[in-house]
Amino acid sequence: MTSKFFLACLAAASLASAEVKVIQNATIMSESAKGTFNGSIVVRDGKIIEVGQHVTVPPGATVIDASGQWVIPGIIDCHAHIGVDGGVNEGSVSVSSMVNIKDVINPEDIAIYRALSGGVTSMNVLHGSANAIGGQTIVLKTRWGSDAQGMIFEGAKPGIKFALGENPKRQGNPEGGARGGAPVNVRYPATRMGVEDVIREAFNEAVLYKAQWDAYDKAVAAGQHPLPPRKDLKLESLKEVLEGKRLVHAHCYRSDEILMLIRVADDYGFKIATFQHVLEGYKVAKEIAAHGGGASTFSDWWGYKSEAYDAIAYNAALLAKKGVLVSVNSDSLNGELMRRLNLEAAKGMKYGGMTREEALAMVTINPAKQLGVQDRVGSIEVGKDADMVIYDKDPLSIYSKVQKVLIDGTQYFDRDTDVSGRGAKEQEKQKLIQEEKAEDAKTASPRRRAQ
Amino acid sequence: MRLPSLFIAFSLLASAASYDSVLIHNVDVYPVTSPMIHNTSVLVIDGKIAAIGAGASGKGGIKVVDGKGLRLYPGLIDSGTELGLSEVSSERMTVDTGELGDFMPQLRALIAVNVESEHLPVVRVNGMTSVIAIPAGGGRGGRGGGSAQLISGQAALMHLSGWTWEDMEINRSAAMYLTFPSIAGRGGRGPQSDDDISVAAPPVSFTELKRQYDAQIQKLNDFFDAARQYQKERAANAPGFKKDLKMEAMIPVLEGKMPVAITAMRERSIRDAIAFSEKQHIRMVLLQPHDVMKFAPELKAKNIPVILGRTEALGDSEDSPYDQVENIPAALYNAGVKFAFATFNNEFARNLPFNAGRAASYGLPKEEALKAITINPAEIWGASDKIGSIEKGKYADMIITNGDPMEIATQIKYLFIKGKDIDLSTKQTRLYEKYLARP
Amino acid sequence: MKKLITSLLFCCLGALAQAPPTAVAISNAKIVTISGATITKGTVVVRDGLIEAVGDNITPPADALIIDGAGLTVYPGLIDGLSTVGIPAPATPTRGGRGAGAAAATAAAPPAPHSNGPEDRPMTTSWIKAADEIQPTDHRIETARNEGFTTAVVFPTVGIFGGQGSIIDLAGVKTENMVLVPAVGQYIAMRTNPNGFPDALMGVISYVRQTYMDAGYYKLSKEVYANDPRGMKRPEYNRALEGILESKRILLPAERLVEMDRMLRFAAELKQPVILYGLHQGYRAADLLKKNNAVVLVSLKWPEKPRDTDPDDEDSLRVLEERKKAPSTPAVLQKAGIKFAFYTDGVEQPRDLQRAVKAAIDQGLSREEAVRAFTLSPAEIYGVADRLGSIEKGKIANLLVTRGELFDDRTKVEMVFVDGVKHVPAPEPAGRGTATETAGGGVNQ
Repeated sequence: MTSKFFLACLAAASLASAEVKVIQNATIMSESAKGTFNGSIVVRDGKIIEVGQHVTVPPGATVIDASGQWVIPGIIDCHAHIGVDGGVNEGSVSVSSMVNIKDVINPEDIAIYRALSGGVTSMNVLHGSANAIGGQTIVLKTRWGSDAQGMIFEGAKPGIKFALGENPKRQGNPEGGARGGAPVNVRYPATRMGVEDVIREAFNEAVLYKAQWDAYDKAVAAGQHPLPPRKDLKLESLKEVLEGKRLVHAHCYRSDEILMLIRVADDYGFKIATFQHVLEGYKVAKEIAAHGGGASTFSDWWGYKSEAYDAIAYNAALLAKKGVLVSVNSDSLNGELMRRLNLEAAKGMKYGGMTREEALAMVTINPAKQLGVQDRVGSIEVGKDADMVIYDKDPLSIYSKVQKVLIDGTQYFDRDTDVSGRGAKEQEKQKLIQEEKAEDAKTASPRRRAQ
Repeated sequence: MRLPSLFIAFSLLASAASYDSVLIHNVDVYPVTSPMIHNTSVLVIDGKIAAIGAGASGKGGIKVVDGKGLRLYPGLIDSGTELGLSEVSSERMTVDTGELGDFMPQLRALIAVNVESEHLPVVRVNGMTSVIAIPAGGGRGGRGGGSAQLISGQAALMHLSGWTWEDMEINRSAAMYLTFPSIAGRGGRGPQSDDDISVAAPPVSFTELKRQYDAQIQKLNDFFDAARQYQKERAANAPGFKKDLKMEAMIPVLEGKMPVAITAMRERSIRDAIAFSEKQHIRMVLLQPHDVMKFAPELKAKNIPVILGRTEALGDSEDSPYDQVENIPAALYNAGVKFAFATFNNEFARNLPFNAGRAASYGLPKEEALKAITINPAEIWGASDKIGSIEKGKYADMIITNGDPMEIATQIKYLFIKGKDIDLSTKQTRLYEKYLARP
Repeated sequence: MKKLITSLLFCCLGALAQAPPTAVAISNAKIVTISGATITKGTVVVRDGLIEAVGDNITPPADALIIDGAGLTVYPGLIDGLSTVGIPAPATPTRGGRGAGAAAATAAAPPAPHSNGPEDRPMTTSWIKAADEIQPTDHRIETARNEGFTTAVVFPTVGIFGGQGSIIDLAGVKTENMVLVPAVGQYIAMRTNPNGFPDALMGVISYVRQTYMDAGYYKLSKEVYANDPRGMKRPEYNRALEGILESKRILLPAERLVEMDRMLRFAAELKQPVILYGLHQGYRAADLLKKNNAVVLVSLKWPEKPRDTDPDDEDSLRVLEERKKAPSTPAVLQKAGIKFAFYTDGVEQPRDLQRAVKAAIDQGLSREEAVRAFTLSPAEIYGVADRLGSIEKGKIANLLVTRGELFDDRTKVEMVFVDGVKHVPAPEPAGRGTATETAGGGVNQ
């Protein structure tokens, strides 16, 4: 990505948002009460102002002719690890709730563009799964070309990542078991029992911390001036969990650990917003539904780890049947799977007999609800953000491709533009390579002599 | 034209009631090697396709399947998996690929296949009836890090069902599996997800890497030369000649009877692999060539078939177009190169048809995509007389679907391997049923 | 005659006892004052380590040693805006990166205790001042001086909070004589810990954030305690937090545009005046830096193509573009009116340094601005422009005298004045390279 391209994007962004646009004559899967129908969508100032079989085209509107094409709400990936600088895991300690993905957003990660090419418009960017209690997380929109602040989904509740099962206990293995076999400091815990303990210990501290601050706040409200307690970033975010201000996204696999976490949350009086991966969630669907947590899972991954051995492709469908709000995610570090979430969602029709709308909901309105942003995104309805994806064919068909992606009414991706720009980009690259070769030959690099 | 013989066949064999005989009627048949036939019948006797044609109903005890509204295709073929050889890929004890030793041509993947691996049913029910089982490591539990094993053993072509591996065998020595030396690029696809335990190699100077690379190629050539020498000595049968199992395994390769499946991903490796195969006069199949398009005309001219990895992948460079990998199959087809698809995986092997479909989304004609997972692999692995299409005399490896098998929502209604109607329940469907019923 | 003998004696005595003449006048020279117009032919008078006079119409004082400046150019002595010269090189002072070089580091010093969180204050030596660490015998001091540097802003750079930098004159026997300003700000590096927390960039950022929160809390606690200690548990002495509180500004690293944005926001959050160092993508950052009134140090170690790489490998467009455009950063900053200074960043061979500056000039930086970036600009950035950085009456007599235009290929350093004392570089051996070898490294290794 050259800086010229960035500037062009930014320029386009500022021009386009005030415009009025009409996406005309498409098959719209609105994921709302209106269902699926042939019609048009009117956008102004980044919001959807009209949707229907027949709309009024305002004068001066830019018309996008989508005849023969399909439009769906922008895809929402409830579990991504892209756009992050300097590593997604603060794995040195078991509780790393003091770190924040928001501090390390990399808006220039090409993975963001790749996700965009697959129709992803919002994503829940998470800390990794190396810790029982991991770092703070953030929801971003894939506004390619923006700076870090510009990527943030303003108004989305902040989150925090928990991880259960094999990953957070890998570093406790005295045989080293760490990635690639490199030696690491042995870190508690080494078992699932220890994982629970780590979480309980942390919340035990957090409860005390909260009590101190509540007492302080009360004293201040009463007009006193005591010395405040020391602000501790690690416990501060856990206090927010206790107060319902921060959503918990818990990576989990086995039914025993899912149940464990539900009971811990019950004991401390907070909710798990989403169970992530939750491959054995179908075994404890009843408990998850009763708790009120959502489930964000893979379409059909299994068997790569012991804890994934009982994973079934019917997980999403079964959880949904039992009353759990289900989404499908990518867990992607490089954006590859984020290009195909529509197809991952479509697998819900194959495994478990979901309807088309139910399947698509798993990457649109359902994750929107799980992240608490359903008032803004997740369906094509009047008043919501104009985040939409235009496909050349049925988005639930293997043969479809994304043509255009709009976020807040601005077009951030156009396949035709991308394809036609490739030649020029390659030319520019070869030109720079040749220039460098010529330079090297000219100077004959005395550095090498000095070496 | 077929009706008379069909009639005769029926009258002769109407009494047959074996488990691998069946009559499927009222079905749309997609033979792959010839145009689709509407509303017709397929008769299977003793595991082989006996006849294809409209009309006749079953007589005697033969099982009959009504294919009304359904389609019949050849069973799909995955040209590279570790099915049966790896159960939980991150747990080494469950993995039997990637043995120690640089040159292990005598090893045979087939005999290590776990017939009851839970992966087999899971993959089958998406339409796969046979696969190439590869002896090479590459799974996370396998031989990781360091330089790749050069010759891993013999890959097997096998059915995905049987009482024993003997039962499953189509060809125990479908190909000699060779991983060509390579120099890792600075780019690379990196870890796919947070669960992926891959590690980046530490940077080493190119001069040193090239030296190691050249040394590896030399070792390869030396090994083949030694095999040729052994072949000579064996033919001369001089007194004192001792049988060497490694060298014995190389004889069919030298005689051109067994192709060598060579994995070469980057340009340098591909170029040198082709040169190597010419120098050693061996038949090669080129596996997972990322930079394949630079060699398309040469591959066509030299009749070297290609096995492509998953289309669900990204290009190697930050600058790669987002659909770089998806565009390759169509480009190869247009260049006249024969290819087949493989997943090189277990967990994602059931998505083989979707990989093929994805290629069709990016310019490969649908019929060609289907061929790349049916007749093409059958031909490439030398088994086109037995599998890969719906033709008389071939094994009755067939799937009956309610739609295009490359489409996501399609359901496989029946699966036949050698005429046997395979139970479509799997560990996953059983767990589903069990927990669906939980009060 | 008597005068001649006396002055000869003085010279000899000078040679033996190294007592400099009280006053020196360089006359007939071209003088690039930086603060004003260049004097085509003029005189600079130096007395007692200060500039007594400068102009085109000056009569040298009677007692001054006259140096004929015909064919010579006088510049203010160069100032290296961020340096480690004088501080014994630590084992592996890597900038950024994920805890590389742990093994080498532990070879020199006992292994650091494992860090379990911010409260362990990992990788923090914030109380250290460069002025206290300077070894006047470090041969890199002489090497830098021979290239025309009279001054360096030297920082301790180990760990995350390295300590405070000091402005040091590059000549002297005792450290006390060399220190111009003992504490100019805290050096912070976004470095991970090979031995525990923090293990990722976000860990480093949260660690720094918590440290500043703790420093504020520490200050408040001390004030409350000072006000009335009775009944209150005393706040424990914490030298790390003392060091943080004493620093009047911070230095934060930023090479990429994304990092500049991140660090500027971070500094604003911490309410700390900040100087960004690195700046290789500065050519993209004019708007951002302008908006934030940013002050920056530009590293002269332009990104280079790594050696001995696979010819089949192509660098990405992003990397290629950055390599090409990085040297245009100074010109872009100049045009946008953004305050910047250079630092050598371990580029020690004079040929390499000259080539690096030349690259910037070739890409649009004016020669005057190039010199200014090594003289008055760093003086302004560090708040010592009232005494350093230009040739003006009353300022410290740090001067560089060259034969030829500074940063031209064949230009040679004739002499350097540090605090009014003349130093002549040792003659170079045949061929390129400096007179002395340099071991160890600069800020980056």
